[in-house]
Amino acid sequence: MTDSSTTGSGPAGSPNKTYNVSQDLCGGLFLIAVAAFFYWKAFPLPLGSLRAMGPGMLPVTIAVLLAVGGIILVLLGLRDGTARQETWHLRGPFFVLGGVIVFALLIRTAGLAIAGPASMIFASMGSDEFYWKESIIFSICMTIGCIFLFKTALQLPIPIFTFF
Amino acid sequence: MDLVTNLAHGFGVALSLQNLGLCFVGCMVGTLIGVLPGVGPVATIAMLLPITFGLPPVGALIMLAGIYYGAQYGGSTTAILVNIPGEATSVVTTLDGHQMAKQGRAGIALGVAAIGSFFAGCVATVFIAALAQPLTKLAQLFGPAEYFSLMVMGLVFSTVLARGSIFKAILMVLLGLLLATVGTDLETGQERMTLGIQSLSDGIDFAPLAMGIFGFSEIVKNLENPEARDVVRNKIGRLLPGWEDIKQSIMPVLRGTFIGGLLGILPGSGAVLGPFASYAIEKKVAKDPSRFGKGAIEGVAGPESANNAGAQTSFIPLLTLGIPPNAVMALMVGAMTIHGIIPGPQVMTKNPDLFWGMIASMWIGNLMLVIINLPMVGMWVKLLKVPYRMMFPAIGIFCCIGIYSINNASEDVLFTAFFGFVGYVLLKFGFEPAPMLLGFVLGKLMEEKLRQALILSRGSFTTFIERPVSLGLLILAVVILLLALLPSFSKQREEVFTE
Repeated sequence: MTDSSTTGSGPAGSPNKTYNVSQDLCGGLFLIAVAAFFYWKAFPLPLGSLRAMGPGMLPVTIAVLLAVGGIILVLLGLRDGTARQETWHLRGPFFVLGGVIVFALLIRTAGLAIAGPASMIFASMGSDEFYWKESIIFSICMTIGCIFLFKTALQLPIPIFTFF
Repeated sequence: MDLVTNLAHGFGVALSLQNLGLCFVGCMVGTLIGVLPGVGPVATIAMLLPITFGLPPVGALIMLAGIYYGAQYGGSTTAILVNIPGEATSVVTTLDGHQMAKQGRAGIALGVAAIGSFFAGCVATVFIAALAQPLTKLAQLFGPAEYFSLMVMGLVFSTVLARGSIFKAILMVLLGLLLATVGTDLETGQERMTLGIQSLSDGIDFAPLAMGIFGFSEIVKNLENPEARDVVRNKIGRLLPGWEDIKQSIMPVLRGTFIGGLLGILPGSGAVLGPFASYAIEKKVAKDPSRFGKGAIEGVAGPESANNAGAQTSFIPLLTLGIPPNAVMALMVGAMTIHGIIPGPQVMTKNPDLFWGMIASMWIGNLMLVIINLPMVGMWVKLLKVPYRMMFPAIGIFCCIGIYSINNASEDVLFTAFFGFVGYVLLKFGFEPAPMLLGFVLGKLMEEKLRQALILSRGSFTTFIERPVSLGLLILAVVILLLALLPSFSKQREEVFTE
């Protein structure tokens, strides 16, 4: 991914629809926000001196450097003809990462027997090709396989079913 | 003849029935992962880390190492047959390998890739064994200043080698270093930026971070850009290359092994750079460069040897200096620590079984890969026909179970989701996550060494340039960075990555 082209084999893959705003500008602002957050959190820590650095020295220094870098990136993004920001999609992240959260919430409370299918079916909905029947059957089979592999064969302490 | 006795000792360890079995399992799983596009070795090793808890340390590491170099093998199969790199290291193989497959020479491409990799693996094994002792001695002369400079050099390499803008890669390194500062301060024991979250007091765990950023954000990205799978329908054809093909491949394999092995040692690159460099060189020395991209066998033989050699030699910095040169090795550090082994120069003397056993197992593993893989190509091809809509939830559930089992903590799974989102955001802004991960991996150690060095020098930064080894490493880093920024070179770099 270069500053001057939107296509090519950049980390974002094939050419996508874009917003009419510079990608570097957005990226820079994001980094500035991250740096500001870390600076805020690291500020109360004692800095120490170079001879004996305190816990706050490095986080504060790096946060400042990151913010400066972010500002430079914003300025670079203000030039004409820089790469445009790709459009965001909500469906993929919502369902795929949501599936992970479903798993996290259910594994302790309900056990793998429930968390497994629930999380897999939820994640499957993130795909454009989603079929209820296929997804349910597949997720149940996978879960049974996982129980055999992780619980029976490897004896990991994973709760399977917590209701009895 | 220390080398021979040591290697013999290693083979004694690696040839035990259990270790042979584990090596086999590792190689198989690694190949499987390598074949599947979108699941990298990082995610796999993180997934399988819990499985190794019950194993003895030697066996656990042999298996994990097997996964890593097995993945290099598998990646090339996908590259040749489907035109999708199964791994980042096999990107180059798609160029000529897939063309060969289209011409009905898929079997020969696979055969040459396997034989080249095997040869590279053998050489790299001997190379590691021979180099380990002198490097370990050298490492004992390293003070904190040298360690710090070495890691700076590693980070600089990783920015130069990352795809896309170097400036953005440097910013990613900074972000990684910043994330590494979260957690209890090493010297004062004070909690830093933990937001009052209990599990953050030990710092951010590597596995959820790596799995989120490399595993889940990758899945999300793949769902957005559905890839066209172009599975070769032609017959795979005979697997053993003829005499003509072998003659054409000998030199590329030798050159690829050499380049890949050398580049693999550098912290920050691992096995990724080797294949690119090897392909570029083969194209330069070829009598008729126009054949490249149209199914030239040299374009498969060279890079495939290079990536395998690099994958193995990247163990050198870990085993001798205790510095993980890439994300996979960072997980190896995690695996070693879980088993109570602190990576570094002392491993060789304190755990000779582990050290030499692992090296010997690499050779055995390579042999296994050639024997297993070639006859099983048909099965791997069938696997590639599983649609992505079924593959990604399956990958997801394995990742979730893996992450949960490391600490039996459901918070870790939540962290994974969070970092998956962060990874998605970074991808959208055009940031390459690899340098960030390396920054994170080296961050803690770098801070420790920096503080030690400054205490020794009474707060003076000149210690880094007064000590000759440290100065040399820093100069090397600066030179590389300047070279990469030169207009002529940066143009070439772009070409290499877009090719």
